[in-house]
Amino acid sequence: MKFLCVPCDQPMKIATVTPPDRGSISVTYSCPACGYEMAMLTNPFETQLVSSLGVRVGPEGPVESDAPRCPFSGMVSAAREDAPVEAPAGVRWTPEAAARMQGIPEFVRPMAKSGVEKFARESGHEEITLAVLDEARARFGM
Amino acid sequence: MKSYHDIVGDGGSNILEQVADQKERIARALSGVRHRVAVGSGKGGVGKSTVTRALAGALAGRGLSVAIADADFNGPTQAQMTGLLGAVPLPGPNGIDLPRSRDGVGVFSVGGFLGEAEPLDFASVSRGDSHTWRATREFAALGEVLASVAWGPLDVLFFDLPPGTERTIQYAEFLGDGAAFVLVTIPSEISRGVVARSVAALAPRRNPVLGYVENMSGYYCADCDRVKPLFPEVRDGVALDLPCLGRVPFDPGLAFACDRGLDFNDLPDTSATRALSAIAGRLVESLETLG
Repeated sequence: MKFLCVPCDQPMKIATVTPPDRGSISVTYSCPACGYEMAMLTNPFETQLVSSLGVRVGPEGPVESDAPRCPFSGMVSAAREDAPVEAPAGVRWTPEAAARMQGIPEFVRPMAKSGVEKFARESGHEEITLAVLDEARARFGM
Repeated sequence: MKSYHDIVGDGGSNILEQVADQKERIARALSGVRHRVAVGSGKGGVGKSTVTRALAGALAGRGLSVAIADADFNGPTQAQMTGLLGAVPLPGPNGIDLPRSRDGVGVFSVGGFLGEAEPLDFASVSRGDSHTWRATREFAALGEVLASVAWGPLDVLFFDLPPGTERTIQYAEFLGDGAAFVLVTIPSEISRGVVARSVAALAPRRNPVLGYVENMSGYYCADCDRVKPLFPEVRDGVALDLPCLGRVPFDPGLAFACDRGLDFNDLPDTSATRALSAIAGRLVESLETLG
């Protein structure tokens, strides 16, 4: 979707994207020639359609949406990124091990963390270290 | 007044460029994959996943480097079939490293970390309208999977497709012209009809359709060591205008092995495993003709 300032015949540029409110994103556009501003307000349906493409809206970095960017987050709600470092079952992550998990793209990370925590619990580890991660890799044939 | 096509970009989000970038990332990640083989049907319940798993195991047993992308997000079975329930992808030096089955097949399957009785659910701000965006979301997720995994050099990457003729064509478009297809049917007239529709749907595309596998082609009776009919014989049935790669009798032992995630190459020598091994050989020959 593109917006044109009719009096100036100039394409408008995104100026701001406000955080979503009940599924609606507010995007303001301005005309680089005359400075005229307008806002596009999406309905949840439109927001969902665009976010389903796996893209972000806005000029600078990702815009947080009501729907987490992780496409699998609905099925791994217990393993969301905002989960505490200490998992409910009492398994802790060392900073080094947690840092290594940052190497996994965002959409897989919650699932991978949940899986490693399960592996750690079943293996009798109370703390997930780099060594435990290597142990998991070996167990999973990597 | 300028028209849409007179304007470069979309004012800042560059949605189209982001989508193009996703495709480039996928192409880079798959650059070491020699052959992409989508195993589909159109019909559900014909054994696409079983055939996929068996062919992957058979090819790995021949020394080929093989992986499976379980594209059936709503009915993922490959994790269980390969003995990788609970195995999760973990970070490696070049991306996500895949869990490997005992027979050496790399596997990405949502079933590895989704509870057996849990339906796949996507977070949404538009509840109640999932029929309008769900497929888009699934393909975006598959794209992220393909772009993020360190597939490395592979001889064959199998895609285990979900059922549905429309899904078959969607995956053909998503995977691009270079992806070859193997279709799976069972001897019933209904199944052959659905698969014929998939063949027709794929016909306008450039994707090579290597042939079909007739699964459940009779059943193997271990007591009498014979294959007996499982479906009524069909005369003058729907013709499938593509090569038959082979016929696989139903084998409870194979079903058991899939349920338990056993190593394909450890299975006893039966008419079913022999048929699957022969199909794997024909598949390799077909792929070689593609270059």
